[in-house]
Amino acid sequence: MAKEIYDSEIGRGWKGYMPAILAIAGAFVMLGLRLQFGESFISDGALMMLALACYIFAALFHLTNLYAPSDMARKIGLWSATLGVFFNLASWLVRWDAAYEHEIAIMRESGNMATPWIFRYVPFANLYDLSLAFAFGAGIATLLLARRKSFQVLSAFTLPLAAIILTLARFIGNEFIDLPPVLDSYWRPIHVGVASLSYGVALVCFAIAVIYLLKDRVKVEAMAIWSSIFAIGVIGSISKFSVLTEFVYRAGLFVPNTSGGKPFSAPFRLDVPYVGIALAFCALLLAGALASFLVYLYREHEGAKTVGHLLLKIALIAQILTVGLLVSEIRGTKDVAARLQAQLTANPSQFVTAGRGIVERQDLSAKEFAAITPAQFEQTGRQYMQMNGDKLYLSVGTNPVEIAGLITALAGTFFVVLFAFRTDKLRERLPSLESLDSLMYKTACLAFAGLAMLLITGAIWANESWGRPWGFDSKETGALVAWLTYAAFLHTRISRGWTGRSSAYFAVLGFLLVIFTYLGVSYLLPGLHSYA
Amino acid sequence: MIFILRMSAAEETIGGREAVKQRTKPIGDRALDFLSSVRFGVTLLCTLVVLSMIGMLIIQQNVQGFDTYYASLTPAEKLVYGSLGFFDIYYAWYFKLLLLILSLNIILASIDRFPTVWKNYFKRPKLTATRSWLREQSQNALIETDERDENTVADRIRGVFAKNGLKARITNFEHTDYATDTAGKKDFTKLTSSKGLVVFGESGRLNRIGAYLVHVCLLTLFLGHFVALQTGFDADVRMIPGDATDQIQMIEFDLDKKEKFNVQLPFSMTCTDIQQRLIDPRGSIDVTNTLDWRTQIKVDDPEYGATTADISMNKPFSYRGYRFFQAQTIPVGNARTIDLNLIPQNGGEPIKVTIPRTGETTIADGTKIEYEEFLPDFTFNAEGKPDTRSGDYNNPVAILGVTPLQGERIRVFAFGGAMPENAPVSAPKAGYKWKLADYEKSPFAHVLSIKYDPFNGAFIAWYFGGFGLIGALSFVFFFSHRRVWALIEEKDGETQIVFGGNANRNHLAFEEKFKKVVHDAKKEL
Repeated sequence: MAKEIYDSEIGRGWKGYMPAILAIAGAFVMLGLRLQFGESFISDGALMMLALACYIFAALFHLTNLYAPSDMARKIGLWSATLGVFFNLASWLVRWDAAYEHEIAIMRESGNMATPWIFRYVPFANLYDLSLAFAFGAGIATLLLARRKSFQVLSAFTLPLAAIILTLARFIGNEFIDLPPVLDSYWRPIHVGVASLSYGVALVCFAIAVIYLLKDRVKVEAMAIWSSIFAIGVIGSISKFSVLTEFVYRAGLFVPNTSGGKPFSAPFRLDVPYVGIALAFCALLLAGALASFLVYLYREHEGAKTVGHLLLKIALIAQILTVGLLVSEIRGTKDVAARLQAQLTANPSQFVTAGRGIVERQDLSAKEFAAITPAQFEQTGRQYMQMNGDKLYLSVGTNPVEIAGLITALAGTFFVVLFAFRTDKLRERLPSLESLDSLMYKTACLAFAGLAMLLITGAIWANESWGRPWGFDSKETGALVAWLTYAAFLHTRISRGWTGRSSAYFAVLGFLLVIFTYLGVSYLLPGLHSYA
Repeated sequence: MIFILRMSAAEETIGGREAVKQRTKPIGDRALDFLSSVRFGVTLLCTLVVLSMIGMLIIQQNVQGFDTYYASLTPAEKLVYGSLGFFDIYYAWYFKLLLLILSLNIILASIDRFPTVWKNYFKRPKLTATRSWLREQSQNALIETDERDENTVADRIRGVFAKNGLKARITNFEHTDYATDTAGKKDFTKLTSSKGLVVFGESGRLNRIGAYLVHVCLLTLFLGHFVALQTGFDADVRMIPGDATDQIQMIEFDLDKKEKFNVQLPFSMTCTDIQQRLIDPRGSIDVTNTLDWRTQIKVDDPEYGATTADISMNKPFSYRGYRFFQAQTIPVGNARTIDLNLIPQNGGEPIKVTIPRTGETTIADGTKIEYEEFLPDFTFNAEGKPDTRSGDYNNPVAILGVTPLQGERIRVFAFGGAMPENAPVSAPKAGYKWKLADYEKSPFAHVLSIKYDPFNGAFIAWYFGGFGLIGALSFVFFFSHRRVWALIEEKDGETQIVFGGNANRNHLAFEEKFKKVVHDAKKEL
């Protein structure tokens, strides 16, 4: 009897780790094949797309399993996720070899016979590489959790997030960068490796926190309010705040890099027709849903609740159509120069904005910058247009964070709509509050320790490279802030007994700060980590 | 009667209040309690988060791009942010004070809690437990056995504990409690005594002091960093091959103004070589085409003699508390070595020579050739003197000092590009036509940054404090203190064993372990 209890209730031993072991081993086999077959082998970009497809596929099956439990769906979900992790890691490893071959080819062609050490090419050089590793971190953490059957349901929430990270990577583009010499250090794989794994664990912790809140009977309408605020915030802030102020979406432009590397961002943005209005309409629907849910929550007005859910569903459809429209317009626009010229003729002040952007990159002193007149900025903008106007082109890669932000907002709305569907049944299928809380604490501990390692290894590397361990660079500070948030989470939990919901809110906040460090700091703030 | 009752109630209340008042701690103790409280610590952490966020969002004065950002602010913004110290927030007095108070909080919290932890888990660990207490534990189980001898049962359970990694101790236990009825309710009128044995097993006891190790490492980190900041400084020095200096430049920021101060070194340094290893040697000396920079210096120290050192990217050089790092280059094209092709004026085989920067050579006929200067984009300036139009290698020329065996030193220009035969600069000099055949690209100068840290504060902070912190956090979060008690009692003619256990973290894994212990015990008994 005792043996029966033991076998059925406690772990499945090493067999539980099989999906993770197989995924990792398989990925190394792929690396071996890449080394054997060279460039003719499948590319890292193709493997990344396969990983993305597998993550989405696995998430769909796990979601199906939530509403219509079936062992088949669960197994397909588990093994699709395993395949996703396999392709994800294989893509990263193949990229390592591809980066080596890419630079060696340039060196040999120029007569340089030197062979730099292999760790120079570890794919941790830019945000694309980090995104691949981040998604892998989330994927492998999910597989390790899936060791317990009851936790396999978490994959339905973590894998879509991993898929969003890979989508962002797709938009960033997989061109190799010329590695700045400061990054050619053995500390880079240690530091960035720790970063990607701890970010991945933080993502899983976040997903558990959201599930906990759902299980703990936090109203879906309250979740809808937060997801709508996030979506409206994204829509309002993209395209330099023009969507909600001018009802226009302007996409960034690229200028080709003549040396074959990643193209350069141009200082001009091009109006993309209809997208601005469509986005503003989405924001209006979301604002309507938000207002309705507020009325429902504070006045318990059932009619407002019904209206809110209806608006939210329409907003979801509108968001899907708008993202589709945006991508198709960006891909379909060819006459960029003519359209930009017409746009600038109608609104010459954009020359001043562009000129200011160009001058800001020249690292002038405050006095020199202040001495430049708007007319001079305009002149600079016009000169740039004359020289590069006919080379400019549109690409989804110009605005990776904006498009990823819109997709994340869409995913947020999607999940809230999903949660609103047979909510009680869904809650029943989720693991118990106690086990979710325990798992949340465990993953938060891992994320906290991982972020500490990230900070320490980064500081030691900075001490070796820049001569100072800590300089309050924006990326350093971002990671510190996230770490302090997890520290506060753990301290309140251990010493004040804040468990459950309070912990879940902290976990959500901690992950938002991690994401801000990962993306926001790289794209919005100046600093020494601008390459990542 | 009612009045009396009310009076008595009032007296009790007053008495109670007085009692509370008497128990109130002195203000000093209360202040200490507050300073050592976790609530205060969390408040400090949150304040630190807010201030750090401000520093992230407002560009700091030592960050590249501050000048243009500062120029774009309105006078009111400059006044408000400047008055609040937001442009240099991480070095503002209140930020330092916050870190100081946080350190104090960590120290006091540790002092406050450590003795209790030591007493409860090391000095006098809980070796026994009552049946009711064990049944209240998150993990508990009850098994029965036919074995009558309690000592035998205890020995077997000790074996099971040992097999499961729990260090076990057996204690005789006598317990007096209120009697309970059949429904399990306590009868406070009766007392019952019970005797038994308790097997106590635990693992990972040291985990209980892990948090204090974390605190010690954090304090080491803070202290080392503080010492480095207070006793050291940052400076830089420009290195041009052949140049010697015994001074470095310390930089201080004051909003959009940068001031440099000369700092005297206790030794002198001579730059003997600078090198830029390029990916594509035909390309530019831009950072994107660079594998590494290397600066070779010779240190002449009146106290310790001469030392030669190589400083590369990520490979600094430490000397007497000074650490030298690669920081930046002056990206005006130059040549580390030049390959010259000398075509004798009177015919004969061309002579090939290679000369390092600032170096010289003598060819077979005794002509001495000194490599004086390199201009990447040759032109004549307004004064009619040789100069460079840009830093790019558009029209490279090596300027040489040539001294024939029995002649006077003359200046020779060896051009890299094709020159017209009749051009004056192409004319033979000192018996040769001079051609710059090839050259190894390098920048005009390297700039090394210098960190002076006489007490190795940064090293101690980050290597001892930092690595210690990683180790301590791993120890705290990846391990746990697990305790299991097994109370062996004879009840209703049978030997019953009540198991109970807890762990300070990783409850899911402990649940598995506890079930395994109980399962093994069942099997063993």
